[in-house]
This record gives sequence, structure tokens and C-alpha cells, in this order.
Amino acid sequence: MLLRLKGIEKRFGGLTALRNGNLTVNAGEVHLLMGENGAGKSTLMKIVAGLLQPDGGTFEWKGQPVAFSRPADAAALGIAMVHQESLLAPHLSVAENIFLGREQSFWVKRREVVARAAKLIEEHRFPLNAEWRVDRLSPAGKQLVEICRAISQGSSLLIFDEPTSSLSDAETAEVFKIVRTLKARGMGVIYITHRLDELRSVGDQVTVLRDGATVHTSPMAELTTDQLIRHMVGRELSALYARTPVAPGEVVLSIDQLCVPPLLKKISLNVRAGEIVGLAGLVGAGRTELCRAIFGVDRCASGRILINGKEQRLRSPQDAAAAGIALIPEDRQRTGLATARPIGENTNLASLDKVSRYGLVDQAAADRVTTDFIARLRIRAESPQQRAGRLSGGNQQKVVIAKWLARGARVFLFDEPTRGIDVGAKAEVFEVMDELARQGAAILMVSSELPELLQIADRILVMRAGVLTGELARGATQEQVMRLAAFHDARPEAAQAGSAA
Amino acid sequence: MKPKLPGGLNLQRLLPFASLIVLFAGLSIATPNFLTETNLSSVIRQTAVINIMALGMTMIIIAGGIDLSVGSILAFGGLMGTMALEKGQPIVVGVAVGIVAGMFWGFINGLLTTRLKINPFIVTLGTLGIVRGITLIVSNGLPVHNIPQSFSYLGEGILGGVPFVLWILLVCAGAVHVLLEHTKLGRYAFAIGSNPDAAYYAGIPVAFHTISVYAIGGALTGLAGMIEASRLMTGQPTAGQGYELQAIAAVVIGGGSLRGGEGTVVGTLIGAFIMGLLSNGSDLLGISPYLQQAIIGAVIILAVTVDELRKRRT
Repeated sequence: MLLRLKGIEKRFGGLTALRNGNLTVNAGEVHLLMGENGAGKSTLMKIVAGLLQPDGGTFEWKGQPVAFSRPADAAALGIAMVHQESLLAPHLSVAENIFLGREQSFWVKRREVVARAAKLIEEHRFPLNAEWRVDRLSPAGKQLVEICRAISQGSSLLIFDEPTSSLSDAETAEVFKIVRTLKARGMGVIYITHRLDELRSVGDQVTVLRDGATVHTSPMAELTTDQLIRHMVGRELSALYARTPVAPGEVVLSIDQLCVPPLLKKISLNVRAGEIVGLAGLVGAGRTELCRAIFGVDRCASGRILINGKEQRLRSPQDAAAAGIALIPEDRQRTGLATARPIGENTNLASLDKVSRYGLVDQAAADRVTTDFIARLRIRAESPQQRAGRLSGGNQQKVVIAKWLARGARVFLFDEPTRGIDVGAKAEVFEVMDELARQGAAILMVSSELPELLQIADRILVMRAGVLTGELARGATQEQVMRLAAFHDARPEAAQAGSAA
Repeated sequence: MKPKLPGGLNLQRLLPFASLIVLFAGLSIATPNFLTETNLSSVIRQTAVINIMALGMTMIIIAGGIDLSVGSILAFGGLMGTMALEKGQPIVVGVAVGIVAGMFWGFINGLLTTRLKINPFIVTLGTLGIVRGITLIVSNGLPVHNIPQSFSYLGEGILGGVPFVLWILLVCAGAVHVLLEHTKLGRYAFAIGSNPDAAYYAGIPVAFHTISVYAIGGALTGLAGMIEASRLMTGQPTAGQGYELQAIAAVVIGGGSLRGGEGTVVGTLIGAFIMGLLSNGSDLLGISPYLQQAIIGAVIILAVTVDELRKRRT
């Protein structure tokens, strides 16, 4: 036995990411780690690799209790991680990256390093050249470099964090082949993935995490796909979020055969006034990309976007805002708010023209707008002068919404509106969305929190690898959504993104 | 930095070098006074100070940092060294004092950026003022004059038919090149500038190597300060103002990236000489010194634009 984790806990501030993580991995075994977004898989693996320290539980390595304070500690004992986003120095060569941080002496003999790397690459028949610069490699190539790094460290446990999410099919096959080789050499492999359909052939054991706790562990062969999905999503829906029934009006937002390279292909959808349409899918399915395209951030290659039946040319967020579209972005802090500025400046940011005369801002009018929205959206703030960054997550979200309401937006794109905010604030954000719908706004909502999406949305569109794979009416189950999101059969376009470069 | 590969040379990579040759040839034809021993020696002497500072700056920029305080450090190093000479210390000791004084401030810069985790632009903007202020306080604003005549050899002397500073420059350039390309310190500098997270996760002592790089940069600046003092035969507390921008410009013209991870010694040397030739050539051609500044500014933007275009294509 290589690794045994028991009752691992991890908290980030008030948020519990892991409350009971259990995992046992043996040598010569490929262990799949499954779970929904936010179930705690990545947190658990970061603890194993020494990137995070657990708050509780026992961590045994080859029968001995261990505690890592740095990634290098884990590496020294033979645990290595292939990261989703590669942790390589792009300006250095493949060889230098493989041996980075482990140079023996003050003098670096480049030729020797290259020769050692070349030998390693040769041995495993990897399609790599030791002298290539890393920034020229494809995502798959970069992963190979990380794998080489792990092997050269003499690692006995290798963790892959969703390695195939950015790879093409051919590259994925390549990675699987490597995984099988590693397994045959007696290494333990932990494999985090959403793409179970492809992994039945490699996976020996499977462990499912849900809400920060291990809920199931068994040999892969003993589990049907249906059972697995049930383990992943099987929780009670909380009845926190109610919708006011609204009769949908005219189609406000209409998208026709939209293609946005490299990911989105032929997306068509309609959102009516008073409707909240949920957009479900796994990380990397293209939901955020779709929002960005509608908001004019990413250029569309073909297809049409219509607002109230009129075709729009959306070449920038400026165009989109003028057309009445609002984006409440996933990354509030970075792209949604001027966090260092007062609430008042944020609420008026998109609509300064309305409170300006002859190019001068009428501060009194601007303040009236702010006070009005603070009251209307129940933003809990000390004063309109408080810095937006100092508000709680839920209240920050309301300021972003206020910014677009002030501008008079009619189409709202919510990208993960409840990420990182507590349950009470979530309910309030949903109340605001409900009210927007009642007033006739058309809302497209991206969320990885399926239970929430199922409750708040009038219908749900599911995306996978850049295409819409289905539409579900209100009352759909999580299993139905997951099936469309993760296990859709016809997927000729599967993740071609990233195969370039 | 590209490993030296067969076929690793491409035309655009050679562009700064080609520009230098063209500039050199052009000036040789355009003015009779250019290709004379006196003039070329003077170009070398004028460029050497900026060049030696730029070598240190190359390391710092490769490691993802920047040092705006080098102009002040140059004055501080020069002042300390000349004060030692004034007290009757031998020249070797004086020069060593200048180098150590510069190294001290480089060390402080590195310490502040890594310990306080403040952006090096801000840290060194601060030390730019602090070091200049201290230099002026220590000297009471007055230059050090009482220096042995033989000290002028450092900046003005001739050895083997060429200015002595050229030898110093070549030794420093060779040392920095070897340090960057063939030692752990240099390779870590590239790794840290290229992706600090990757460097940290690879178990590299990032703070130690960052501080070392700033300290070496400071030491080279201290040496440059002594050369400057030798050329002026005074320890000037006001020396070196604006030199930081010239040093950064030399690195950037030579292909260094302010985002870190890229830069070469040869590139920096070429960058510094391009600027030196432009200013010397303008003088010889009678171009107004006002216009010279504008020309050099335009060349900086042009050089970086060309380099960015090259990078975007690959």
C-alpha cells in the first residue's frame, strides 16, 4: 500500500472544502477520483502533493504518518503531480524543466542535462525533444514534460489532475498509454477526471467524493455508470430558492448557429423575457466562453446574435452594453468590480452618461442612483463610499448587478453567480434574479451547482466540449443533466481545443 | 533564452547585431572622424559605465525584476570608493570598497522585494531616493577631489592598445555570461523570471537566488561607479542620474523582456553600443543633442516592437 488518507479535513476561512476525505492507493494501481465540481477532489490532491496542509485527519505514506509543508517534501518521498495548468518555466528547455530545482552542483553542465533528459525520453518513447523550448509545446507536450519530471524524481505515486481536459483525442490516447506503462512499472496513479467513459479501460479502483467527503470506494468493474452518477450527485435538494411563476414573453436574446473558435460550435438558443435559462456543463464545456462571446469579448467566427429580433454586431463589451446586454462575470473581483473604488463609483460605472451633463458628472444624481440601488437590492454596506472590495461576496455580486440595472440592461448573463458566497447571500442573489425575470429581463445563467440550477432555471441547456448536447425542461433530475454533460455519446468534436500550438 | 541549437539562429534574432553593423558602417562612411582610434576609444569609454551596469540589469530583468536605483547606487559606490582613496587606501582597496558598497544596496533591494513582497519597481523607486539622499548627506553634497593621480588609469588608461575599461567590460561580460548560462544561479534566474510558481514548486530557493541576482547587479554598479569616478577624477554625489533608464534600455534593445525569463549578455552589449554609437554619431554629424534624445527614445520603441513581433510569430 502506498497512500492512506483517513478523515482528511480542510477549511478555507469559513468554507469547508473537505470534511472527511478517505483514499487508499496501492502500487501498480490506477485510482480514479471522481466527483462534481467543488466536491473536494483537487483540494484532496493538493494536500497529497504538499501544496496544501490538512486541518485534520491522518495521512500515511507507505505505512508511516507524514506531514508535508512544501511541495518539495512530497516530491522527496516520491509523490508527484501533473497539474491541470502546467507548472513549467516556459523560456527554458524541456531538459532544464525536467531537472529544474535538482541541479547537483553550482556549475550546470547543459550537455549532460540534455543527454540525461534525452535518455529518459528515449526510454519511454515520448514524442519530445530534450532541447525544445517549453513555450513551443502543445498542452499535451507540456504534460509529458511534467510526467518526465515525475519519473525522473523516482516518484512512486503520480497524480493527474484532469490531464485530458485540454487535450485532443489523439493526445488523450497518448496519455492513457503512458498511464498504462507507469502502472505496469508498479507505480501508483491517481487520476482525477470527469470523462469516465474513456477511463473504464485504465481505471482499477474508483473513489467518489461529494461535498468534501468520500462517499464511495470500489473496484471500477463493480460499478455501473448509473450507480456512479448517483454517487456523485446524490444529495437532497434544499428548497431554498423559489421562483415566482412568470409567463414568458417575447424572445429577447436569440443566438443562431454561433461558432467561436476554438471551442464553441454551432450554438443556437433563445431566451424569452421573464425567463431564466440555465446553462449546465462541466468545467471546460464552453459555458463561460459562450457568455464572453455574447458579451462581445471573444470574436465570433460565424453565426448571429439577435436582441429583440434585431441582429447585433457585438465586437466589444461596449457594443454589447449598448445593445442592453449585461455580464455578471465569474471572477467578480477581477472583471466585475473596481474593488479599490467606492460602491457608488461601481454602480454608476456603466451608466455615467446618464448622470453626466456636458461631460461633467453630476455627483448628486450619481449618489441618488447608488442610494436607490442600495435600498432596492438590500446591499449591506456601511455607506455608499465604502470600498466595493470590502463587501461580502453576496453584496459585491449585488453591486455588479446594480451597475447593469443602472445602465438599463435587458439581457443578463450570469456566470457562476453564487460561486464563493454563502447560502444566505445565494438566496438573495436568486431573489434579485427572480425579480429581474418578473420585470421582463431575459436571463442566461451558468452554474456548476446543479441543485441550484435545477431549482432556479425555467429550463436547462447542457453543454459539452463546445456544443449544446441537450435541453431539459423544469423538473429535470441531476442524473439527466450529468448524463448530457459528461457521458454524451456522440462527441465527434471532443475537446479539439488545445490541440493546436 | 534559447539553448544554443543547430539552426537555432534566425534572421530576426540577429537583427540588433545587424543594426549595430549597419550603424557602424554608415557612420564610417558618413563622417571621416568616426573611424579613428581616438573616437572609437572615446565611444568605448563612454559606453563602458552604462554597459557594466546593464550587465547586472540583464540578470535582474531575466529574473523578473527591475532596479531603478542603479543610478543612485553608482554615485554611492563611487563616493565610498573615492572616500577610501582620499583616506590613503590603495587603489585596489578603493575599488573593492566601491564594489562592496554597491553590492550592499543590491542586497537590500533584493531583501526588500523578497521579504516584503513588494513589486521591485516600487522598492527600487524608493531606494533610488534613499540611496541618493544618503550619498548627498554623507558627502555633504560636495564631490571628493583628493584622489591619487594614478586612479585615472581605471577609466582612462590604455592596455594592449585599447582602453583599459574595455578589458574590464569583457571580463565582466564573460563572467555574467558564464554565470547566466552555465551555473545554477543563472538557470534559476531564468526559471524564476519565466514562471515564479514553477520555480517555487520545483523546490528552488527563490528568495535566495533573487537576492543574489540583485546583489551581483549592485556590485557591478559599484564597479561602474568607480570607473565613472576615475573618468571624472572626482567622487560625485550627483553622478549617475538617469543612468538606470539607459541601462534598462540597453537590456531591452538587446532582447530582454521586462516580463522576465529572457535576455542575453551579447544582446545587452549590442544594445548599449547601439545607444553609444547613436549618441556619438549624432555628435559627429552635428545633430542637436535635443534631437538625439528623441532619436534614442524612438529606437527603444522600435527595437522592442520588432522583438515583440518576432516573439508573437513563434
